[in-house]
Amino acid sequence: MGNMLEVRNLEVSFPDETDRIEAEPVNRAVKGISFSMKRGEILAVIGESGSGKSMTALSIAGLLPETAASSGQIVFDGCDLMALTKKERKAIQGKEISMIFQEPMTSLNPVMKVGKQVEEVLRLHTKLDKTERKKLVLKALEDAGLDQPEKLYHSYPHQLSGGMRQRAMIAMAMILQPQLMIADEPTTALDKRIQDQILALLKEINAKKQMGILFISHNLEVVKDFCDRILVMYEGKVVEEGTPEEIFYHPREDYTKRLLASIPEGKRTIGTAHTNRKKVLSVEHLNVYYPEKGGKLKQVIYDANFAIYEREIVGLVGDSGGGKSSLSKAILGLNIHTDGVIQHNTEHPQMVFQDPYGSLNPVRSIGWILEEPLRIQRKLTKKERREQVQEMLERVGLDKSYLTRRPGELSGGQRQRVGIALALILKSRFIIADEPVSALDVTIQAQILSLLKELGKEYGLSYLFISHDMAVINEMCDRILRLEDGRIYEEK
Amino acid sequence: MKQIGKKTITLIITLLLISLAAFLAFQVIPGDPSLSVLGMDATEQQIAAYQKQMGLDRPLPVRYVSWVLDFVRGDLGESYHYGTPVSGLLGDKLPVTLALTVVSFLFILGLSIPFGILMARFADTRFGRLMNVINQTLMSVPSFFLGVLLILLFGLMLKWFTPGEYISYTESMTGFLLYLIAPAAAIAIPKTAMVIKFLRSSVLEQKKKDYVRTAYSKGNTDNRVLFIHVLKNSCIPVITILGMIIADTMAGSIVVEQVFNLPGVGRLLVSSIGYRDYPVVQAIIVYIASAVVIVNFIVDMLYRLADPRIREE
Repeated sequence: MGNMLEVRNLEVSFPDETDRIEAEPVNRAVKGISFSMKRGEILAVIGESGSGKSMTALSIAGLLPETAASSGQIVFDGCDLMALTKKERKAIQGKEISMIFQEPMTSLNPVMKVGKQVEEVLRLHTKLDKTERKKLVLKALEDAGLDQPEKLYHSYPHQLSGGMRQRAMIAMAMILQPQLMIADEPTTALDKRIQDQILALLKEINAKKQMGILFISHNLEVVKDFCDRILVMYEGKVVEEGTPEEIFYHPREDYTKRLLASIPEGKRTIGTAHTNRKKVLSVEHLNVYYPEKGGKLKQVIYDANFAIYEREIVGLVGDSGGGKSSLSKAILGLNIHTDGVIQHNTEHPQMVFQDPYGSLNPVRSIGWILEEPLRIQRKLTKKERREQVQEMLERVGLDKSYLTRRPGELSGGQRQRVGIALALILKSRFIIADEPVSALDVTIQAQILSLLKELGKEYGLSYLFISHDMAVINEMCDRILRLEDGRIYEEK
Repeated sequence: MKQIGKKTITLIITLLLISLAAFLAFQVIPGDPSLSVLGMDATEQQIAAYQKQMGLDRPLPVRYVSWVLDFVRGDLGESYHYGTPVSGLLGDKLPVTLALTVVSFLFILGLSIPFGILMARFADTRFGRLMNVINQTLMSVPSFFLGVLLILLFGLMLKWFTPGEYISYTESMTGFLLYLIAPAAAIAIPKTAMVIKFLRSSVLEQKKKDYVRTAYSKGNTDNRVLFIHVLKNSCIPVITILGMIIADTMAGSIVVEQVFNLPGVGRLLVSSIGYRDYPVVQAIIVYIASAVVIVNFIVDMLYRLADPRIREE
């Protein structure tokens, strides 16, 4: 069996003046890579953002931004895609090569019914009539693991959960049984449990329909049991290629080794006896309600009882939408719809947020942002405030040149460092970290996690650490609380 | 459906509040209306008699309720200045303003949507940039000056109408509409340019969205992506602007009415304020405020139609 896909010397570059100080100040270009894929194979392309993995995927899918210049050959099914006209290319897009994306929340058209969006592929590439098309769409939705396809057919994307939307995307991408599906971080934005379900679904489709999958991810761990072969990319080049066994157990390149090392290991220090330690937080018989539209209150937490002690890191896990954020808001006093007892033994509990992009005011300088809590306190002079801000900034690993920069000029990891500094500037001893690393690249993740640990030791902090990533939880936490159906259980 | 019911109730309450404000405002304005009708040297008896005749001696709430009820029945009171019913005065001027609104709105809608799309489609090209410059220029020309230019073009050169010689719709419908073209264009041109600019940037904004990439990945052509996917999403914010424009035109454009010698609501308002003809001013205030509120209500409903996410809430 010959190769279905052969990429030869692919180069992608952008003109200098466009991609300016964006989220990541890295060179996104692809620097002459070559690889091939067999029919029905699952190939994973791994690398951090800026490694060129997404640009490679977009080149094959024919979706590169207009400002990009590309060269080389992409031979698919014996014909060079790069040499095709736009029209010839369109005939292949969606029919022979389909694609699913990272953000199921935004990848569907918000004002078009789901059924119609799936059906569009048939409309574009087949001559089927309306009833035949609908029949196929319902079948595809069902094959993608969606119950009640008839109801979904008439739903709008916002009425679906993230996992369901990704399934709808998959239905769309496989309805014509293309030879190749490109999946660009398809599970990154999803909960761990949904993630596993989606991977299983992709694997099943791959086996049943002999559909090749080019799987792009920054997470080596995700693809371990999933793919036939792994391609590791770094700075626009393929640095290593091999089977999962070869990559995981006999990595040759330093970069691959570093990637492997940054997967948090499952070594958890067993919860120490904390009877003689001071409590920083105790929660008794806590009920939390969430105000729905129209003023009605919906109970999300039922009778929660737990305590967090000095210098302890407690993990909080549970499904998304299960009330983790409502609970942390209640603890911080940001949600007033509660009853029960929440007792703090520390002033100013603080929070580190998931989204380092959205949680800092974009028009203010980092110095201004960090100084704000101190200004509100009115205890220090201007000079003292400045000194304290600068000291804290250095403590989280940023020098004072960052004082005058704005959040837009920082990378995701740098912004999260600022977020941590902001949480610590009032000398709080109790921090709630809500998915603090899930928006970051894996190598950056490891850095932020070790920073949190270091600061914890140095300042004697306690953390309530919220995450859906069990690997991270196991790495970080002394104890784990699980939130299920609104009730809190302690994991032994 | 329940939402629509709620919105309708809010609409009615808002209209009542507007009427109350309009009513009260003229009760607290200094100066006795009877004096302005009877003259400064009216006797006490004359004033008392007039107040009794006009019902001004009754308590405030009673007067308000009867004023609202009269209003709903179409009795808007009597003009102090002309001594004729206000409803008749407004009835003469309203059709002119409303016709002007309809014609200019058709003008705006008919031009801004295709041009907005065209300019977004060719945004990166030299043609697109040229169009943008022209659009900016049109947006910044004051409508009275445009009016003068249009009189020159349609009146003096094309002779579609005789400048200054207003033809009422009661005389000749065709003459009336031909006469309206130039003032409608004067109102519409800057606003069209504004809507074009808005739609263009909305389309360009939408084109960056993830769902557009998905649409391309299915094999859609540029045109299909634009018309099937992007356009509906882009139009949602434009509905608001169009609503504001309609409400604004319904209030009457004093300058354009003056330049083209049109007997519309705007000029009636200005002259009534000059004469202190309170009943007329009051009626026009209620009309303008109601127009704004009702148009907003319609905009809300259209939003609901266009965006399923809002429909749910």
